Amino acid sequence: MAAGWIEQLTGSLEQKKQYKRYKKRVEQLPADYRTAATALERYLTYFGAIAKGDVLLAMLEDLADLFEQSAADGTSIREIVGDDPVEFAETFIRNYADGQWINKERERLIKAIDAASEEGKR
Amino acid sequence: MGKQMTEMLKGTLEGIVLALLTGNPAYGYEITTQLRAKGFSDIAEGTVYALLVRIEQKGLVDVEKRPSEKGPPRKVYSLNAQGEKELDEFWTTWSFLSERLEQLREREA
Repeated sequence: MAAGWIEQLTGSLEQKKQYKRYKKRVEQLPADYRTAATALERYLTYFGAIAKGDVLLAMLEDLADLFEQSAADGTSIREIVGDDPVEFAETFIRNYADGQWINKERERLIKAIDAASEEGKR
Repeated sequence: MGKQMTEMLKGTLEGIVLALLTGNPAYGYEITTQLRAKGFSDIAEGTVYALLVRIEQKGLVDVEKRPSEKGPPRKVYSLNAQGEKELDEFWTTWSFLSERLEQLREREA
């Protein structure tokens, strides 16, 4: 019970630990991969506007998986991200749309149009 | 890769990857290599990876983690029954689309 309301204020403790583990994984990447992963993290968290902690962490962990594997395989940064990093980031982020703020607004829009369309039938 | 090509590929890449996985479990890097060998030379590794995450979330593939000599364990993706169903649907849709487009082109000629 006590943990409940504290975590409401501070975010879940488990998620914080998970985030620290993710940060450590990124720190251990070769410098160029680390730079690229950090830049992507910034864009993904800004653009994604993901409100759910667990979805955000799942996204970051997938990002770390990709960069660890690519570093091990010797895949160059350009080969990972392609010619258009924005295109890549936005493809990537679509997998985590569940957690985005905009989702609430999407639902609201759908309901409003449903209601309006029903009204017209009467 | 041209902008138009990128846009068109976006809608079909999932089907292409499902087709590549048929009877042929593979991990991300292998799939990218296969795509490049088939002439999709400019596809980014990350784009393929993002797509694999998505088809995993949609339950179209089974995933097995296999240890690798270097680096973290590799996720090997294999098509499951639901993935096969999705692929059938993809080919049906594709046939429909390509027939209609051919008709349009013939009328134009």
